[in-house]
Amino acid sequence: MTGKAQAHSAAMASAWGARARLGLGMALRHRSIRVGGVLFGFVVLLAVFADLIAPFDPNKNNFRALLSAPDAVNIFGTDAFGRDILSRVIHGTRLSLLVGLLVVVATGVLGVILGTLTGYLRWLDGPVMRVMDGLMAFPGILLAIALAAVLGPSVANAALALTITFTPRTARIVRSSVLVLKEMPYVEAARACGASHTRLVLKHILPNALPPLIVQLTFVFSISILAEAVLSFMGVGPPPPTPSLGNIIAEGRSYIQEAPWVALTPGIAIAMSVLGLNIIGDGLRDTLDPRLRNL
Amino acid sequence: MRDRQSGKSTSVLGRAIAVAAAMLGFAATSGSAQVAGGELVLAQSANPPSLDAMTSSSESARNINMNIFEALVAIDENVDPIPMLAKSIEASDDLLTYVFPLREGVLFHNGKEMTAEDVKASLERYREMGATRGMLDKVKEIEITGPYEVTFHMSEATPTFIEGFSSPRAPAVIIPAEEAAKPANEIEIIGTGPFRFVEFVPDDHVTLERFDGYVPNEDFQGATGFGGKKTAYLDRAIYRIIPEAGARVAALEAGEVQWADQIPVPAAKRMMSDETLNVYEARQWAFMTFIMNWNLPPTDDVNFRRAVLYAIEPEEVMAIATEGFYDLNHGWQYPGRTYNAGDIGKEIYETAHPDKAREFLAQSDYAGEEFLILTDPNYAEHSRAAVVLAGQLNAIGINAVVKQHDWATVLKIRHSDEGWNGWTLMQGLEPFLGPYGMAAKMTGDKTHMRGTDPVFDEAYDRLITGKTVQDRQQAFADIQTAIYDLVPQIKLGDVGRMQAGSARLKGFRPFRAPRLNDIWLED
Repeated sequence: MTGKAQAHSAAMASAWGARARLGLGMALRHRSIRVGGVLFGFVVLLAVFADLIAPFDPNKNNFRALLSAPDAVNIFGTDAFGRDILSRVIHGTRLSLLVGLLVVVATGVLGVILGTLTGYLRWLDGPVMRVMDGLMAFPGILLAIALAAVLGPSVANAALALTITFTPRTARIVRSSVLVLKEMPYVEAARACGASHTRLVLKHILPNALPPLIVQLTFVFSISILAEAVLSFMGVGPPPPTPSLGNIIAEGRSYIQEAPWVALTPGIAIAMSVLGLNIIGDGLRDTLDPRLRNL
Repeated sequence: MRDRQSGKSTSVLGRAIAVAAAMLGFAATSGSAQVAGGELVLAQSANPPSLDAMTSSSESARNINMNIFEALVAIDENVDPIPMLAKSIEASDDLLTYVFPLREGVLFHNGKEMTAEDVKASLERYREMGATRGMLDKVKEIEITGPYEVTFHMSEATPTFIEGFSSPRAPAVIIPAEEAAKPANEIEIIGTGPFRFVEFVPDDHVTLERFDGYVPNEDFQGATGFGGKKTAYLDRAIYRIIPEAGARVAALEAGEVQWADQIPVPAAKRMMSDETLNVYEARQWAFMTFIMNWNLPPTDDVNFRRAVLYAIEPEEVMAIATEGFYDLNHGWQYPGRTYNAGDIGKEIYETAHPDKAREFLAQSDYAGEEFLILTDPNYAEHSRAAVVLAGQLNAIGINAVVKQHDWATVLKIRHSDEGWNGWTLMQGLEPFLGPYGMAAKMTGDKTHMRGTDPVFDEAYDRLITGKTVQDRQQAFADIQTAIYDLVPQIKLGDVGRMQAGSARLKGFRPFRAPRLNDIWLED
C-alpha cells in the first residue's frame, strides 16, 4: 500500500469513527433510547451473567416444595417441579435473547444479501421477490410454528424457523432502500467516475441503506423474543427441561389462580425485553431518520 | 372378588350373577328427588378419535360411547361381569360353550329391535376390526341358536373369558347388522344405550340426547357399573373438548360446564372449599409406567434396562408427575386385589440404587448414545414424569433426552421400533380390569415393549387358562417377577384422578367413564 493510500484509509477510518461517535452521542441524547437501554440492558445483564446471578440450578427439582409461594429462599416461588422460578426465568431470558440475537444476525445478513442483490440486479428481482412474497403471504407466527413443528423442537430449529419467517420483510426493506439509493445523483456520479459495482454497493449504497435496516432489526429482535416464547408455549421450542420464557408460562397456565407467580414472572421478563427493544427502536428511528430528527 | 371358579355349571354361574345383581343395592337414585330434563355440559381434554366404539380404546371415546352403546356383558360397580344385552350367561361344564339368551324388546336408536342376527354380525365385525379383538381369540364360532340367542363355541377352555369379554376398553358393542357390514369408522352411530348420538363437531363438541325408546334391564334394581337398570333423566348432554386444564377449571367455575375431567390437583384442592362445586377423587385411577423399547439400542440390552430400573427414585417421579396425588406401589395390581403379587420387586422399587445401576450399566454395551424418552404434553403427568426420569438417568451417566410430541404423534411413533427407547404412559383401564389386560401387553404380537419373551408367553397362558385362582395367582406372580428381571416396563406408582362438577349435578359417582344415566340436574 502506498503512503497516499495509507493516509486515505486512516482518514476514512477516522471519519467513520467520528461519525460513529456522533451517532452514538445523538442516540444517547435521545430519551427513548436511554429508557429502553436501561430496561433492555438490565435484561441483557441477567442473560449474560445468568450462571452467576441465578441462585439455583434452573433444572434442580424439589418434590417437597411444589408450587411454593414466593419466600426468602425462592423469591419468585417454585414451579410444579419445585424448581426455582427466578433461576429458570434468568436462564430462560438468556435463551430468548440468544434466539433473538441469532435471528437478528441471520435475518440481517440474509436480508442485506437478498435485498441488495434484488434491488441492484433487476433480473434477480422478480424471481427472488416472488419467493419472498410467497413466504410473506403466510401469517408470520403461523409459518414459524409450522416450520418449528416440521423441523422438531430445539433452540437451533426455533431460530431457523424465525429466520425464515422474518427474512423476507428485512430483504424488502433493504431492497426498497437500494432501489432509491442507486438512482441518487452521488451514486450516478461515482458510477460516472468509473466506480465498480462492488464499490458502488459496498461504499455508496449499503452504508446509506443501513439506518432503516437497523431500526427494522430492533423490531425483529423484539418480535423474535415474543415469537420464541410463542413457539415454546406451543411446545415446539426447546425441549424440556430447558427453561425458556414461553415454556415456563405454558407450565404455569394451569395454576394461574393457585400459583400465579409461575406464569407472571416470565411474562414480566418478556414484557421488559420487548418494551425495552421497542423503545430503543423508536428512538433509533427518530435519530436515524433526518426527517424525524427535529420533530 | 373378581374371579370365577372354573368348571362351575351353567346354572351356578348364571345364578351367581343374578343373585349378585339382586343383592346389590345399586339404586344410587333411591330416596332422592330425581329431576327429569335439562342439559348437562361436560368438559374433557381430547377429541374422541372415533365414535365407532369397537375400534377405539381411547378414553376420550369411551367417555361418550359407553352412554350410546351396550354389549352383551358389562362390568358392575365392583368390576365383576354382569349380563347387559344378554339375559344371562350360560357356560357349559367344560367351558367350551357359552350360551347368551338375549333380552327381548331391546331397541336400537333407529327403532329396530335387536335380534341374534345383529349380535352375530356385530361380534363378527369385532373379531375383524375390534381394538381388543384378542379377547375373542378363543372363540371358534359364533352360532345363532334362536331369534334371541347366540352360542359361542370355544377352541379351548378359558376360565377368564367372560372377564375379558366384559372389558369396556374397546367394548364389543352390539350395533344393527346393516351397520356391522360397514368398514371401521364408517358406521352410523346407532346403539342400544340410554342416549343417542346427535352430532360431533371435531375439536369442539359431541352432543347426545336421551333415547326415549330405551328399554331398561328389569333384571336389576338399579344401575351398576356400565350395566344394570339404567334410567336417563337428562334431556341432552354436550361433551365440550377443552384441552387446556386451566380452561376446563375456568369453564366449570363460570358455570359454562357442569362437569369437568382431569382437574389439576391444586385447583381441585381450592375447589373443595367452594360450596357450588363437588370434587370427586378417584384414588386408584391409573398406573404410571415407563415402557422400554426392546428393539432399539440401548434398550435392547437387558443389562441397560436393569440399569434404568435401578436408577429410578419413584417418589420424586410420582410426587412431581401427579402434583402430589399418588401412592407408591411396586405391584402390578392394586393393593388388596386378588392378583396382587405381594412383595415381589418391592426392594428394587422402593428407592434408587445408583451403585447397582452403574454396575448394570457397566455390564451393558452402552456407549453413551442417546436414550430417547418419548412423551406428550397432552397428559401433563406423562411429560412431567419424563423430565424427572431424564434427570435421574443423567445422574448415573445415561444420556437421556426427552422427546416431546403431541399425543397422536406419540401413539404413531411408539408403534414403530425407531425413535424411542422409553415411553411414559399412564395405564388406567388395564389395572382396573385386573391382571389380564396388564399381562396381555407383554405377550402376543402387540406388546408395549415391541418384543416378546417366552417367560411372559408361558406365564400369560397359565394366567388365562389356569383352573383355579391359586394357579392364576401364581402365574401373575411369575409375570411380576419377570417384569423386575427382564424390565419390559417399569412401574413408577399409582396415579389418582380429580374430577369436579356443579353441586347441582346429583347422583354422579366417578367410574371409568362419566355415566349419563341416573344423574340429574337440580333446579
